[in-house]
Amino acid sequence: MTGGAATLLQSNDTVLLPERIADLTGLGELGVAGELTAAFLGAFIVANLMLATTGVAGPWAKRKITAAFTDRIAVNHLGPAGIFVIVADSVRLLSKENIIPENADRPAYDLAPIIIASSALLGFAVIPMGSGVHLADPEVGLAYVFAVAGIASIGLVMAGYASGNKYSMLGGLRAVAQNIAYEIPLVVTGMSVVLFAGSLRMSEIVAVQNETVLFTIPGLEWAVPAWFALVNPFAFVLFLIANFAEVGRNPFDMPEAPAELIAGYQTEYSSVYFVLVYLGEFLHIFLGGAIIATIFLGGPAGPGPAEIGIVWFLLKIWAVFLLTQWLRSAIPRVRIDHLIEIGWKGLLVLSFANLGLTAAIVGVVFA
Amino acid sequence: MCVRYEPPDVTEMNDWIAIGALALVGLLIPLAMMVVSYLLRPSVPETSKRATYESGEVPTGGTRIRFNIQYYMVALLFLVFDIETVLLFPWAVVYLDAVESDAVSLLEILGPMVAFVAILFVGLGWAWRNGVVQWAQTPRQVDGE
Repeated sequence: MTGGAATLLQSNDTVLLPERIADLTGLGELGVAGELTAAFLGAFIVANLMLATTGVAGPWAKRKITAAFTDRIAVNHLGPAGIFVIVADSVRLLSKENIIPENADRPAYDLAPIIIASSALLGFAVIPMGSGVHLADPEVGLAYVFAVAGIASIGLVMAGYASGNKYSMLGGLRAVAQNIAYEIPLVVTGMSVVLFAGSLRMSEIVAVQNETVLFTIPGLEWAVPAWFALVNPFAFVLFLIANFAEVGRNPFDMPEAPAELIAGYQTEYSSVYFVLVYLGEFLHIFLGGAIIATIFLGGPAGPGPAEIGIVWFLLKIWAVFLLTQWLRSAIPRVRIDHLIEIGWKGLLVLSFANLGLTAAIVGVVFA
Repeated sequence: MCVRYEPPDVTEMNDWIAIGALALVGLLIPLAMMVVSYLLRPSVPETSKRATYESGEVPTGGTRIRFNIQYYMVALLFLVFDIETVLLFPWAVVYLDAVESDAVSLLEILGPMVAFVAILFVGLGWAWRNGVVQWAQTPRQVDGE
């Protein structure tokens, strides 16, 4: 079953970003020190790419999208379509006074924003973003990304507890309740993809999707690649729902439910701490989008040459982001007393049903 | 099971160096932002400014109190199922190879895992019947219905 898709990623000769940098700059000849420098440069590029994405999404795109849904204009004074509000907002937020509440539990209060922001960034290490932007490709890729994404709940519960505020406390505890209820459906649904791919390595999961032709559109000669969203739409929908709950987006935004808890765990944060918490949230949305794009939407693959893979990848994660903002405007929040029931009686059972069905289908088809 | 053995990749070490580098960058960027903010921001200490926010009211009582977090039993269930997912991962990875090889029948590959998951679902069924996976109600709420 070899390819008909426009772009194919060959799993066996993946050149990772640090290696590419080492080759281009001649750092590879410097031994371990050169290798470390190349890895650091690669990490810097990936981190800044994702920070730039969230920088556009947080202060600007989110406002514009919500405004479009509610028939308003939103920011439009600075630059074309108000895009320079990103600069203005970052300066404004960073130069605000940092007010530490008097009941704050000090080291934890300061550490929580760092944990929230940096744990979200860690997940992008194993995501193949196309055009050679792929930092690392360990054998345990998918398990790693789920594990790292889970660290954020520690940051959230730390923020909630250490703020010494009742709203924060409730928000932090709700975040944990939500994470433990939706983590298992998320991982189990992700596992149904592994059954098809036979590997946890991200580059292989992407390659399997693009090397297999699902069907050819008659007349047009278009080969439709076997993206798992097309192979198993049921798993895709389940994963989307569990992912929105996991990153705490609507309709599962109970941890920060503005109408009930002010801002949940981030109520008492101001200045740079608020920036970090907010940044971490957006990084998490995009990390969720990156996981979805990688394991369900063929990663960086798309029509055109393989060199523009990163454009397709960014389009896919922005599509997931747009979906979160759409749901934010369109769907009411789930009530807190329904949270556990939806997770444990609904999604968990459905996700295991999906896993069993997928295993049976794979068993019959590939036997 | 005749699942083929693949020798570890030679770039394996590089992967974790790169991940470590990203962890370092991920720490340095927030710290750099904190330093920039420290240089830019004013400090106007006032006692009332630092009061805990409670919708503009004077805060009543502390935060470190005991209350029903509603999911103690659910957290125990989570531990069980979380370990289960860890045990499922290796099975999921070798599944395709095992199916494609003719050495073992589908029943042998699928059966043990179905039995394993079924046992855990008996536990979930017990928890479900005993009202663990639903929002706990106080006696007054129950009487009111």
